[in-house]
Amino acid sequence: MTTDTGIDTGIDTGIDTGFNKVIERPEIRSIGAYDFPSRSAQELYGDDQLVHVWYDGNPWFVAAACFRAPKAMSFGDFWAALLVPYHEEDPDWLASWTPADFEWGLDDAPWTPDEGASLASLGVGHKSVIRMVKK
Amino acid sequence: MTLTPDKPKAKARKLSMKERYSALTRDLDWDPSYVPADEMFPYTTFEGIKIHDWSKWEDPFRLTVDAYTKYQAEKDRRLYAVLDGFAQSQGHLSLTDASYLNAMKLFLQGVSPLEYQAHRNFAYLSRHLNGPGPRFASLCQSLDEIRHAQTEIHTLSNYNKYYSGFHSYLHMHDRVWYLSVPKSFFDDALSAGPFEFLIAIGFSFEYLLTNLLFVPFMSGASFNGDLPTMTFGFSAQSDESRHMTLGLEAIKFLLEQDPDNVPIVQHWIDKWFWRGYRVTALVAQMLDYMLPRKVMSWKEAFELYFEQQMLGGLFQDLAYYGIKPPRDVGKAIQEKEHLSHQAYWILYQFSHAAAFTTSVPSDETLDWLEEQYPDTFPTYRALWDKEKKNVANGGRHFVRGLPQLCQVCQIPMGFTEADSPFTICQRSVVFEGERYNFCSDGCQNIFEHEPVKFRQAWLPVHQIYQGNCGGADLGDVMQWYGMQPGDGGEYLGSPDHQNWLRWHAQADHSELGED
Amino acid sequence: MSVDAASRPVGVDIQESEQNRAVIEAIEATNADATVNHMPGMVRVTAPGRLVVSREAVEERLGREWETHEFQLAIISYFGHIKEWDDDEIVIAWDH
Ligand SMILES: [Fe+2]
Ligand SMILES: [Fe+2]
Ligand SMILES: [Zn+2]
Repeated sequence: MTTDTGIDTGIDTGIDTGFNKVIERPEIRSIGAYDFPSRSAQELYGDDQLVHVWYDGNPWFVAAACFRAPKAMSFGDFWAALLVPYHEEDPDWLASWTPADFEWGLDDAPWTPDEGASLASLGVGHKSVIRMVKK
Repeated sequence: MTLTPDKPKAKARKLSMKERYSALTRDLDWDPSYVPADEMFPYTTFEGIKIHDWSKWEDPFRLTVDAYTKYQAEKDRRLYAVLDGFAQSQGHLSLTDASYLNAMKLFLQGVSPLEYQAHRNFAYLSRHLNGPGPRFASLCQSLDEIRHAQTEIHTLSNYNKYYSGFHSYLHMHDRVWYLSVPKSFFDDALSAGPFEFLIAIGFSFEYLLTNLLFVPFMSGASFNGDLPTMTFGFSAQSDESRHMTLGLEAIKFLLEQDPDNVPIVQHWIDKWFWRGYRVTALVAQMLDYMLPRKVMSWKEAFELYFEQQMLGGLFQDLAYYGIKPPRDVGKAIQEKEHLSHQAYWILYQFSHAAAFTTSVPSDETLDWLEEQYPDTFPTYRALWDKEKKNVANGGRHFVRGLPQLCQVCQIPMGFTEADSPFTICQRSVVFEGERYNFCSDGCQNIFEHEPVKFRQAWLPVHQIYQGNCGGADLGDVMQWYGMQPGDGGEYLGSPDHQNWLRWHAQADHSELGED
Repeated sequence: MSVDAASRPVGVDIQESEQNRAVIEAIEATNADATVNHMPGMVRVTAPGRLVVSREAVEERLGREWETHEFQLAIISYFGHIKEWDDDEIVIAWDH
């Protein structure tokens, strides 16, 4: 796209948006040693971790949810104790819905959660994004 | 004996502005002899910016202390005359509606504390820049900014007598989730070096985005019966023209001093355009949703103040130095049809945890929005139709939990993809074993350049989950935020709304007599 | 396509008030191509390439002495670059 004044405003910003991209530490310009830890590191949550749930395709929830959940929590418990109480506030949510009513993704890849398995064993990491789409 | 009066001396020829200015700046400057210059000015090299000749810095205002104080005093005199009149005449009753003040609550909580921070950092620059010209301009700006903080607080304190949400703005600024957006923006600039600060605040905030940030508040005030805010706003803005000039001089000076400065400055423009633009999401929703009487839509404001004036004017000028428009400007242009709707939808569903209120827009507003945004608003309107039904059934859409936040802008991640504008944009990268989430390519790019800085971000949601915000349930957090009952939530039926109806019913009775 | 500095618009926003009317009229008289727009609480004056505020023109309409510093009481914002601000005039224009 080009504006009247000839400025190119193309949206391709040339960034690698691979969801699991690992970045290196760039050069730091500072007045002294500069190396401070994350304020959101997993260790700050003990045996728990932060887990995001993105109900893709449902704009009722303006953003994905962020939960604190034990790494050892089963996906079934996560569904019943955290995910449903949050999302049932949507008037269109049906109490009869189960995980089987959705397609699932984890960190941008297709995912098949087993209700009996723990979040950690299912590959859910600290600040992972679980994506659900109504079938 | 009579005293013979002295014969009046011939009036000394007044120095011209140029002469007075150079006497004040250049002539009062000296080269250090006891210490080397880099010990006297230790902070102007580490960012990699190369300056060869500080005397090349121009300040077209050529202000001197006498002229500065004379006109600033006059500005304050005019403002306080308006404030007194407003308070004496119960002026708050002639606002369009009590809900208008939500815009001013956001301003006092989110913006006024930034004025104070700007005051601090410009005081630092007025000590630490090597050149006497920019030091004096920074000193004036430092004084301006504390005047802004003071006059804004003073003006809005009048509303604190009658309305909720104004009482603990400073306490809230440091703690509350949506205020972490402007706070972290400014903290990022304060913790940068002096040159980055000049580009971040002096150039990007004060020149590139100032008209989008401030003029909408002031025009909104003017249209909604808020004479005091309009007056302090325009009084503050009259200083802004000097601040804009300082920002523009700063960037031209850096670009002219050394070609190696160009890529550094370009990255700062890219970064600070996006940082500042994300903060304007709060202004966008204010213009389109919070003002009972509309001034202009966000889209119109963006086209006028940004696309025409900045892309069409300024960036053509900067192209001469090899500077390109900010890298994510295309995304901002694409978002002009969406930004305000997404931002208000965020605030609406989390306003139970805010110190302002929200409500379903009136049918009149919904129709106006559809006229302004014929291509996109029908989709957003469907959400309001759903919420209207929800309200009719006794509900009110408040989210029962906490949202995912962007690591950089700290806004709940409600922004969408450019090529699929109703799909949430999800980005993430892994740095030294930890995943970080972003709302946009712009925020991701900023993080990738400074991951060690941004991993320290104090993200309100993460801090609540660590137990650092008063406790585990919403009530504990609200108490820690300094919220009082009635500060947030739904506007209809709120204390502000009820008081407003009562005051106006009383006024009506007195006019109508017995009827 | 790029538009040169001589024709790209520059402009200034001025508070709408009794005191500022003479200033606005003076700018209109000094700049033949100027366009004046009224917006809530303010007046926006734009012109292609260059906008001049002349002390003489303001003093004529004001009927008293006026120093260019006083323009700081009137201005809200501008776009362009302040090329000159001396005892006699203020010039807003793009450089390149
Ligand atoms: Fe300010
Ligand atoms: Fe400022
Ligand atoms: Zn962001």
